[in-house]
Amino acid sequence: MLQGLAYSGKGDSTTALDSYHHALKISPDYLPALEGAAQIEYEAGSPDAAPLLEHVLKIRPNDVTSHLMLAILAEKSGDCETAVNHFSQIGPILDSHPEALQSYGVCMLKMKRNDDAIRVFQKLMSSHPDDARCRRALAAVQLASEKPQDALATLRPLLDSNPDVDTMRLGSAVYEANKDTPDAVRILRDAIVKDPMQTGLYVDFAQLAMDHQSFQAGVEMVNAGLNRQPGAAELYMARGVLYVQLAEYEKAESDFKRAEQLNPSQGMTEEAQGMLAEEQNQSDPDQALSSVRAKLADKPGDAFLWYLQAAILSKKSAEPGSPEFQQGLESAKRAISLQPSLTAAHNVLAKYYLDAGENALAARECRLVLDQNPSDQSALYHLILALRKTGDQKEIPELLKRLAKARQDATREEGERNRYKLVVAP
Amino acid sequence: MTLSRRSFALLSLCTFAQRLLGQQQGIATRDVAAQPKPAPSNRPFNARFTDVAKEAGLRAPVIYGGVDSKKYIVEANGCGCAFIDYDNDGWMDIFLLSGTRLEGDPPGATNRLYKNNRDGTFTDVTEKAGLKHAGWANGVCVGDYNNDGFDDIFCTYFGQNRLYRNNGNGTFTDVTKEAGLWQSGPARWGAGCAFVDYNLDGHLDLFVSNYIRFSFEHAPVPGENSTCNWKGVPVNCGPRGLPTGRHTLFRNNGNGTFTEVTKQAGIDAATESYGMTVVTADFDEDGWPDIFVACDSTPSLLFMNNHDGTFREEGVTRGVALSDDGMEQAGMGVGIGDYNLDGHLDLFKTHFTGDTSGFYRNDGKGNFDEVTRAAKIGVETRFTSWGAGIVDLDNDGYPDVFFVTGSVYPEVEKRLPQYPYKTPRVLFRNLGDGTFEELQFQAGDGVSAAHSSRGCAFGDFDNDGDIDILIVNMNEPPSLLRNDLQAGQNWLKVKLEGVKSNRSAIGARVIARYGNKVQAQALISQSSYYSCNDPRLHFGLGPSAEASLDIHWPSGLREQYERVSANQLVTIREGKGIVPNKGWKR
Repeated sequence: MLQGLAYSGKGDSTTALDSYHHALKISPDYLPALEGAAQIEYEAGSPDAAPLLEHVLKIRPNDVTSHLMLAILAEKSGDCETAVNHFSQIGPILDSHPEALQSYGVCMLKMKRNDDAIRVFQKLMSSHPDDARCRRALAAVQLASEKPQDALATLRPLLDSNPDVDTMRLGSAVYEANKDTPDAVRILRDAIVKDPMQTGLYVDFAQLAMDHQSFQAGVEMVNAGLNRQPGAAELYMARGVLYVQLAEYEKAESDFKRAEQLNPSQGMTEEAQGMLAEEQNQSDPDQALSSVRAKLADKPGDAFLWYLQAAILSKKSAEPGSPEFQQGLESAKRAISLQPSLTAAHNVLAKYYLDAGENALAARECRLVLDQNPSDQSALYHLILALRKTGDQKEIPELLKRLAKARQDATREEGERNRYKLVVAP
Repeated sequence: MTLSRRSFALLSLCTFAQRLLGQQQGIATRDVAAQPKPAPSNRPFNARFTDVAKEAGLRAPVIYGGVDSKKYIVEANGCGCAFIDYDNDGWMDIFLLSGTRLEGDPPGATNRLYKNNRDGTFTDVTEKAGLKHAGWANGVCVGDYNNDGFDDIFCTYFGQNRLYRNNGNGTFTDVTKEAGLWQSGPARWGAGCAFVDYNLDGHLDLFVSNYIRFSFEHAPVPGENSTCNWKGVPVNCGPRGLPTGRHTLFRNNGNGTFTEVTKQAGIDAATESYGMTVVTADFDEDGWPDIFVACDSTPSLLFMNNHDGTFREEGVTRGVALSDDGMEQAGMGVGIGDYNLDGHLDLFKTHFTGDTSGFYRNDGKGNFDEVTRAAKIGVETRFTSWGAGIVDLDNDGYPDVFFVTGSVYPEVEKRLPQYPYKTPRVLFRNLGDGTFEELQFQAGDGVSAAHSSRGCAFGDFDNDGDIDILIVNMNEPPSLLRNDLQAGQNWLKVKLEGVKSNRSAIGARVIARYGNKVQAQALISQSSYYSCNDPRLHFGLGPSAEASLDIHWPSGLREQYERVSANQLVTIREGKGIVPNKGWKR
């Protein structure tokens, strides 16, 4: 044990860890050795830290440091429930650990406890008032919590004093959320001028152009990005999507292929091409189907392509029980088994079940969609129909209200999106 | 920590963009893919339609707004028409609505009544009949509101709606004020209308849908905002972005006057809709009439009758309000009939270009399943579609589907030739197995001719035992499609006269049985697009030489007539049986 401490003091973590483990072999519950080993494993980001820390907690359940470390490790691995359990046992000491506070806030956000997340990041910012990163984090959380005015107020001091590119990028989103598209565009353009090599800025601009149906303006800006960064796969991807909207399918396809060549590991190029196939061949489902099937042969584990196959087959309106109907239904199921969060696949499957008279199963699929997106109009509508058909009427009035609200919100959002158009300068 | 502004997630982006593309204009359309066309059936279709309007004397154009461009939506939607036997001579006369122009009424802008000369021609009797009137007319419904044996006319307007009482001597009197139907306050946009005896007291009440709240002073102009653009071309604005109309129900007091009962009846609970064509029928077969309103860019409405003077709106729950993926559509016209011969009344609804029409199968309890694609109607998405009917055009015993089309944006085709202003009519023949086949050129020049059409009415103007079609064309004379049907198939026409029920028998449901088939039809005062069909129900019987009839009168009386011979008109008086026809000669 003393040897471990000595090696630790010398900065020789490997030998120190060996010494601690040796000590633990002799005395497995020896707390200083457990703590020393856990510390080294934690700092190395090793998964072996967790069992050591848990061992510490068995011996000393209120050990704040162990809870803290376990919380941060759990947050990093995406297990927010465990993380929050540990954070909640730390007490006021948490406030003096910025990294822990940030992890705690992120978990709150992931768990949709937005107000709690905002409180955490407010605490973080008040303890580090001059740290731009803390201010940006709070603004970002406020934005994610649909409090754009608060986000703007938080970010304002940074925006007013020679902001860096990260601040400008976030500022653009905040302005847009506050329906101030001209400022959103202006600051994003300024950010691009400031750092023309940052591809994410062009992608943001493409998104902004999409939002305002200004597809050509988006293409022009992405072109500017590609002049600087001709190897940026994500820019080809973004431009391809814009070309699809402009019905320039050949250009879109070329961009998607280029994106895949440049970065085969970039997600969604297959999906993009599948979507393109569906768009391009919308009057010819058979051709779209062939295209998707060819891609599926290469990537049988691609959930989105299975979904596309289900959707295209659904459009063919095959009779329930027919081979095509069954293949469509099975494709939707396959898509879901590969990617349970793919709501579009659940919606298609719900439609298959409705057509087949499997109303209870249709209702189940709709509910899975609504768990992820409570405003999904298709899911709400299909759930209403499924419940009517099963005779289960009691839920319908509330669902009708939700559907009406979803429609109204969609109409309002459409109006907001359309209020501003980006144009290409002559 | 830095949160990315938004991840450029392709899937959500594409899905979002698809919806966005469908909503970037003033009218809801989904840009859906057309179904692939199945192989032709190669079965003969024996009906041929020829436009005989000119020879028949229907030569005056239907004035409606600008010819080459339309500044306001008021100019774009057009109007309906009616087959009406106003003089009870047994021959269908014609009533055509009309619009006007922004700069004022041009010469010849008026509604027109044409008397049937019984020789294939018509005489314009508008002035003599007292029906001359210019304005932004929209819908017409026909019914005998005062039970005097003569059909009266109600017209909706952007402006003041009009009730014309038939005096029984070839003239009409505008009784709007004395009937209590005069609207004070700002101009309203009356759209669809229907006479309906909703409380079954034997007197026809009146339902009026309203489209939008509109004023020239406050209306945006082409290109002013996102609802004033279509495919990048500045066009008239709306309906999106404009406030919705408010529908109205008037109860007939039985003394020639009406009382508004919108609120008491629960109609005003349904708001936020751009109401268009109205169809009333007993969809759930409980003996009480329900009301369906096709709505533009908002969910369509189905008011179910509560039997106590009130209604409950259940369009979404019953499956007729939205597309099959839960989206709004631009509901314009409505056809009603029994396409699958199961004895229940189905609905067909027309929509904007880029969308399929909607076909809804009724289970007999007023619940509908959308069968557009299953019926192969989804093969056609090219046209903005209006007046429609589920009617047996070739008398083979299977009701076909016919609708008229035409763009609302005359200015677009100059920049986008692929979107012409004038487009052909569409005919789907019923193949008898629940599916339809589109016939583009096999049914005569009258079907394939391109016009910008709106309302249409179905009726037998020459009493030759088949269904002809009257069509309103924008700023052109109307079309009168004479059906020259080869002999060989049988038919039966049924004219009903109410006694305890309202005299027009509106609301009656007739079930015809012929061969091994059963077909339901309803007597209604408006369908298609703002239009009114021949009130004589027409059943094609195919090879069957006779049919049995089961009549559900609005009064609740049910009468059955066995083995009625084919190829004749039978007039049936409620509780009295078959009575001699008036003026019917063949």
